[in-house]
Amino acid sequence: MTLSTLLSAPASTAADVARTGAQLAVADDLLTLLRTTTTEPRPDEQLDALTLAVAADLPVLLWGEPGIGKTAALTQLAASLDLPLTTVIASVHEPSDFSGLPVVGDDPAVQGVPMAPPQWAVELVRAGRGLLFLDELSTATPAVQAALLRVVLERRVGALQLPPGVRIVAAANPRASAADGWELSPPLANRFVHLHWVHDRDVVVRGLGGVWPRAELPRLVPERLPEAVAFARRAVCGFLKVRPTLIHRLPSTETRRGGAWPSPRSWEAALTLLAFGTAASVSREVLALLVRGAVGDGPGLELLAHLDRMDLPDPETLLAEPASAELPERGDLRQAALEAVVAAVGARPERERWEAAWAVLVRAMETGTADLLVAPATTLASLRRDDWEVPEAVERLAAVVGLAQRADRSVERATAAEAGHARGVRR
Amino acid sequence: MEKLLAARLHAVKVRPYLADALFALHIVADPSVPTMAVDAYWRCYVSPGFVARTPLEELAGVWVHEVSHLLRDHHGRGERYAREHEEYGPGERLRRNIAADFEINDDIYGDGLPLPGAAVLPSLLRLPDGLLMEEYLRTASMSSLAANLAWLDCGSGADGEERTRELGPDGAHGLTRQQRDAVRFRVAEGIKGKPGDAPEGWRRWADEAFHPPQPWRQLLGAAVRSAAGAPGVGENHSYRRPSRRSASVPGVVLPSLRRTPPRVCIVIDTSGSVSDSELGSALLEVAAISRAVGGRRDLVTVISCDAAAGIAIPLCRAEKIELVGGGGTDLRSGFAQALRSRPRPDVIVALTDGQTPWPSAQPPCRTVVGLFPRPARAMNENDPDYVPDTPPPWARVVTIG
Repeated sequence: MTLSTLLSAPASTAADVARTGAQLAVADDLLTLLRTTTTEPRPDEQLDALTLAVAADLPVLLWGEPGIGKTAALTQLAASLDLPLTTVIASVHEPSDFSGLPVVGDDPAVQGVPMAPPQWAVELVRAGRGLLFLDELSTATPAVQAALLRVVLERRVGALQLPPGVRIVAAANPRASAADGWELSPPLANRFVHLHWVHDRDVVVRGLGGVWPRAELPRLVPERLPEAVAFARRAVCGFLKVRPTLIHRLPSTETRRGGAWPSPRSWEAALTLLAFGTAASVSREVLALLVRGAVGDGPGLELLAHLDRMDLPDPETLLAEPASAELPERGDLRQAALEAVVAAVGARPERERWEAAWAVLVRAMETGTADLLVAPATTLASLRRDDWEVPEAVERLAAVVGLAQRADRSVERATAAEAGHARGVRR
Repeated sequence: MEKLLAARLHAVKVRPYLADALFALHIVADPSVPTMAVDAYWRCYVSPGFVARTPLEELAGVWVHEVSHLLRDHHGRGERYAREHEEYGPGERLRRNIAADFEINDDIYGDGLPLPGAAVLPSLLRLPDGLLMEEYLRTASMSSLAANLAWLDCGSGADGEERTRELGPDGAHGLTRQQRDAVRFRVAEGIKGKPGDAPEGWRRWADEAFHPPQPWRQLLGAAVRSAAGAPGVGENHSYRRPSRRSASVPGVVLPSLRRTPPRVCIVIDTSGSVSDSELGSALLEVAAISRAVGGRRDLVTVISCDAAAGIAIPLCRAEKIELVGGGGTDLRSGFAQALRSRPRPDVIVALTDGQTPWPSAQPPCRTVVGLFPRPARAMNENDPDYVPDTPPPWARVVTIG
């Protein structure tokens, strides 16, 4: 390189700058075009679950592999709820960023040491509403997690109280992918509704094509609110009365650590979610995601099974009007309903009730398969008192008896064949 | 139809724990199905001709077979396998179906369910019994079977590929995912509630249906990490020295992040009942993890322990240590030895098969137990009532293997 080229360099800059500027403007245009995406309403269970939990003002924790689109989903959600999004990456902060920075004043002995909140918290309070997104929660140190407890539960950052319009969502990487991460402490885990964020092939392909699913706030029906609360209370209280051991159960095995677990606090969250879900008439799938995310898989599934049982027709109603009895379509539920009827008769055996139960069975026979009736019919027959005459209706259940005998004979044949085979082998 | 229902009753009689699942199936008559098939929404497609020509006892077996596909989530697993290995197409579909049948057929028959002549068994390919569908798929090509079994079709419930004849997710009488999970959960709970009634294979399924086992390496790593990283040990915030951020904010007291490397002591059960290869892999893992959490090599010590504990050896020499021992174990001496060493360890990791007495009191440091599982019947011959103690509740237990 000669001196002349060095000297001539500044001369060409003006033109260069103009050209680079134009190029950058074109690049910006291209980027704008790429970033212009639209949304469409689309059934998306995990997004519905997230929106409902955010609406119910429960802190949500999204578990998902890095790069799966948790942050993108949150940005979407904030945009569609029209809430300003504040992202705080928990793992790069210090505990004092959440519990407040101690500022030594003139006379600490008189005035105390104020805990100054960080800027993001001040801005959030000033805005009065917003979505606080705590990212990388599982890679935060134990001390930061402990400080976050107060933010998540009491909504306090230092001396500052977050306004009620602020919703909290956190994200964490599962242990498998967070190579050197800490695990979530059980107290912190208990405060969240855990949602496992997975990518849906169709959503990703369609989204890269420019159309993402739209998060919509659940439509709560004002008339249904009292009914929803009553239903949720009945469901959770009724269930916990039967399964009191599930009220509080710390995660014991290594696989369940860091996840949702049942405690009075998380049952309250489940109750809230049930009420919101009922008032907004969301599907059972969304409800299942939320309830399992609040109290853990096992207790959540048991509660859902309990809800299924609650949907069964009341045995007394069936006994009162056997001819028009509406029985569930699904075989296992239908059998459960019939067994409930038989149990109700067994609890208060009276002749009219016994005969009404036979009528219910006949009704079930006419509307569904006969094999479901074998077990309830056998029990009902055994409830008979000596002075009760067999009602005529029983005649119409002859097919059931035939079926049962056929099955019995088949079992006998099979066991006999096995025994014969075993003898043959031994010989 | 009546024969089919009688067969379902037969199945319920001999396998009462599957009753809920069997009754939850919705029957659809469909002459285009070769035999019986299920879809992922718990509909059961049945060929009337097949029912007519099959003995009642065998039909009962087919019922249990089809419902097993659904309970064991073969459609979900098949689809996942196909996606992971990018194996699609009719041949692959058949392969998945055969592998799924292998997984089911080797343990559902017998005890009142006669084995149908046409059932495919792992022994056809000289494969061992008791593997999972994925394991059969990985190990065997099955191309030799495919030609003979082209008729085999248990539906999308078995392999995850939808057929045109099936009613699909929106058709009538399908179960939603939540309902399917609920049925599977009820069956699993029923088996767990009365474990005596169900055979080994079903009990294992019930245990793992909703809590699939996680790789022990990750669990052990998480346990050691969180033990070594608990407050007071390892990396944490400290006010002992001001943070470097303090310079820019006068008047504010900031803590700094300090790392105190944790001292990890590994107590190894070298009794005869633990094999060298098991120990080797677990030991390497713990050493790697303790290094990753910031422990220096000289801060990781190893004690081999049978009836009496050896001396604590720093890990840098332990890579060549001979694990001496054999015979009975008393881990209490290992714990005592670990706690006697100076400076005292922050974390004790015990690798054992659990056939040992445990210290009666909680040691003054975090404890992680890597447990090599042993079948429950491994008993003391001299004392048939002898049951080894379970690890104490203060230890975090990771089952290895």
